[in-house]
Amino acid sequence: MRFPSRLLASQLFFAGLVWAAFYAVVTLITVGIAVFGTLTNSVWESATQVPRWFALFAGVAMIREFLPLYIAHGQTRRQFGAQAAVTVALYAPALSALLVLGYLLETLLYNVAGWPQELARPHLFASPTDVPLVFLEYLVEFLAWIVAGTFMAAAFYRWQGGGLLSIPLGIGLVVLGEAAIGTELRLPFIRFPLGVVSTPTVLTVLAGGVGCSLLGLAMTWSIIRDVPLRNRLA
Amino acid sequence: MNVEVRDLRVDYGEVRAVDGMTFSLGEGKIYGLLGRNGSGKTTLMSVLAGFRRQSGGTVRVGGRPVFENGKVTGEICLIRDAGETIDIDKVDDALYFAEWLRPRWDAAYANELLERFGLRRKMSVKAMSKGQRSALGVVVGLASRSPLTMFDESYLGMDAPSRYAFYDALLADFMAHPRTIILSTHLIEEYSPLFEEVMIIDRGRLVVREESQTLLARGTAVTGPADRVAEFTAGLTVLNTRRLGPTASATVYGDLDEARRRKAREAGLELGPIAMQDLFVHLTEPSGDAARAVPAGDAAAPHGADQSGDAR
Repeated sequence: MRFPSRLLASQLFFAGLVWAAFYAVVTLITVGIAVFGTLTNSVWESATQVPRWFALFAGVAMIREFLPLYIAHGQTRRQFGAQAAVTVALYAPALSALLVLGYLLETLLYNVAGWPQELARPHLFASPTDVPLVFLEYLVEFLAWIVAGTFMAAAFYRWQGGGLLSIPLGIGLVVLGEAAIGTELRLPFIRFPLGVVSTPTVLTVLAGGVGCSLLGLAMTWSIIRDVPLRNRLA
Repeated sequence: MNVEVRDLRVDYGEVRAVDGMTFSLGEGKIYGLLGRNGSGKTTLMSVLAGFRRQSGGTVRVGGRPVFENGKVTGEICLIRDAGETIDIDKVDDALYFAEWLRPRWDAAYANELLERFGLRRKMSVKAMSKGQRSALGVVVGLASRSPLTMFDESYLGMDAPSRYAFYDALLADFMAHPRTIILSTHLIEEYSPLFEEVMIIDRGRLVVREESQTLLARGTAVTGPADRVAEFTAGLTVLNTRRLGPTASATVYGDLDEARRRKAREAGLELGPIAMQDLFVHLTEPSGDAARAVPAGDAAAPHGADQSGDAR
């Protein structure tokens, strides 16, 4: 199989641009809170609610934009599926690395300014500088959200309005990913602690995340493996 | 690349879009694919390109099945109005992926075509006019240099100079790099000089598959004084009649033998070629006139096409 260098490069390039803009905005908000109010927590931690949505839409774009592009350029669904899977497998760690970088830059800023960088939510990591666990937590989260995006986008592409039925399953993939992390269930508009007494091991989290992403990719493949290209795009 | 289609069926739920179509196309020719809206042109080409799986029958390109066969689909390029190959951020991005995914991509030629159509690499595809998007599709289609290249209504929104630029580029590139090209269009008179052979489909079935010149020879335009034209065409299949003052011009379907031609000349009538569009309209009339006018044996090609099930 050919390595999806251009697909991955285009996705990473766009993610890098968005991350830079996002980091600038978050930093401005941080400084604003510090100047006009009281800064007690990590603002980057709260801001990480947003990137998982970005991950979801990256998954959507993978199907909505690149599946038709690949097939129209003579690639098979199988070739696209393999390249998309490799892209997801490398893209999610890259997004997670950007999140880690955000935490580290924030730590630097907080240290220089003398602000307290407390975490407001339970995490796998106790400190933002605990790089491996920060990376792992967001890696699993991004994997789950990206494959939820590919799965739901595939369903909408194939069945249009019927794709609505895929939303509960897509949410299920997200729940599975969050459950693998085991700290807190954070769904859109819903948030509650999972009440897990013992912290899951790194291997358990990783296995949960990989399992969730494989399941999501398999569910996506079951839809796209013989999907016809639509004659007209909505 | 040659194309072989046998008893092809494509269903959309209860609707049969392609109904038992059988034909074969040779290599290195430009084919015109004509049909009314909803006749099945886009569906047929989508199956030929592996965009969708057929419901029944077989489709082979270069002797091999198409659907999910990367060795074959990599050699096929279908440019549709839906714009799958260009539906991305910028012109540059569309070419970036085309270059990467198309085995025969000619980047220098793509640049030349961009210039010819007045397109810039930094243009946002979503902000482009319909005509510019169509032109970009044409750039991708031609620069792909695929052995089987298909354009489905690729002129949509293009102004006349751009369409002429397309014809010129297509012909010049076809001469330099012969391949099988299928053009689907509603601008029949504008495109027909490009066609070596024509396929007309109607309601999912192949109505005619012939060389362009042979098809045009099926009809004759009879022009002269209205009363004499009416007298001469009595009993013949008249596709349409136009009048201008005392003069009339009737389009007659079917061969005129030498005796009839002599009779026309003696009556002071002029005989000339007819427009392909008139034939097309006649052959695809919903009233079923095509069935009356086209003998069953005429409905398919004399070039190896299987006629079973194709005649209407």
